[in-house]
Amino acid sequence: MVFTLGFSQEKNAAMPKVNLDSIVYKTAYGLRLGIDISKPIIGAFSDTYNGYEVVGDYRISKNFYLAAEIGFEKATTIEDYTNSTSKGSYLRIGFNYNNFENWLDMNNEIFTGVRYGLGIFEQRLNSYTPNANSTYFPSQSIENPMSESGLMAHWTELLLGIKVETFKNVFVSASVSYKILISVNDQKNFKSLSAPGFNRIFDSGTGFGFNYTLSYLIPFSKK
Amino acid sequence: MKRVSVLLLLCLAIFYNCEKDDFCTKNPVTPMLVLRLYDATNRDTIKSAKFLSIWAEGKDTISGYQSVTKDSIAIPLNSLTSETVYHFKINTLEGNLANNQIETFTIQYAPVHEFVSRSCGYRVLFNEVTFSSNNTWIQEFTPSTLTTIDNQNAAHVKIYH
Repeated sequence: MVFTLGFSQEKNAAMPKVNLDSIVYKTAYGLRLGIDISKPIIGAFSDTYNGYEVVGDYRISKNFYLAAEIGFEKATTIEDYTNSTSKGSYLRIGFNYNNFENWLDMNNEIFTGVRYGLGIFEQRLNSYTPNANSTYFPSQSIENPMSESGLMAHWTELLLGIKVETFKNVFVSASVSYKILISVNDQKNFKSLSAPGFNRIFDSGTGFGFNYTLSYLIPFSKK
Repeated sequence: MKRVSVLLLLCLAIFYNCEKDDFCTKNPVTPMLVLRLYDATNRDTIKSAKFLSIWAEGKDTISGYQSVTKDSIAIPLNSLTSETVYHFKINTLEGNLANNQIETFTIQYAPVHEFVSRSCGYRVLFNEVTFSSNNTWIQEFTPSTLTTIDNQNAAHVKIYH
């Protein structure tokens, strides 16, 4: 921070070049685009999950990045008495703040971030067994799917993560997020047990998520 | 320092939200039919039925209701049909088959499935309930209809015998 201040002061004052006793290490500014590689891998091994996510961020100052993710998720929730699937697209938009002071011209990050999330999805109740809690008159599973589309979920997110530049302009990032639901639509006579981009909706209206992404920086300038 | 505090905040948030909705703590989810037995002459007095056995039409005796003395009965309704026929047997002496008095009590209803929660799933409510009886040892009961059975906090039917 002291570095930038010194630097900008020098520029603004348009003073003749003075010999600073240090070298200014410039880092790249630009658009970083990538994909979440954890979601297709989980999808390949899981019968109940499919998901894809594209991530991007744009550096706006030394430590601030505008960030957004868009994705598609289909998740089946199997509970004792219900089996339901939510399927749809989502968008998360917000910013990241880098807390990490880099050495030299390194460009790694330990970041915190906030997001606003919006998911539009279809919820389908695949089957259910009424909880008659009676062994004398056992209930039967009802395979009569009902679905409702055009449901929406809004939420906010707090993120914590790291980004490491492994090769020039190639970044590997891992982050966890804590989600707080603002609102969600429920299917008639049912409840949205999970929402795309939000994952499982806990009773308290909260959720968790994680990302493992691989991204490439398209550098626009160096500052 | 800032980093540590953010981490702490996140941890706190995670632990704060470790409330579980994995277990259904609501019991029972689907209400049972509750009957209370009263004296037919002294109508405010509870009167137990002796050597009471209960079974539904075409089924075995319900465990817990095999020749017992009870003044209150909680029995399940068949959620797959719109009618449950119960037989209530009482006696004056154990094993004296000749003195068996068997009452046929029929409950008719419209079962409705209502979503409760993730862990409890759906419960069954019984609407438009009608009771009927062949009046052997039960002299009277009230009420004969109910709009809904959606809980079992209190007796649904008072039986006088």
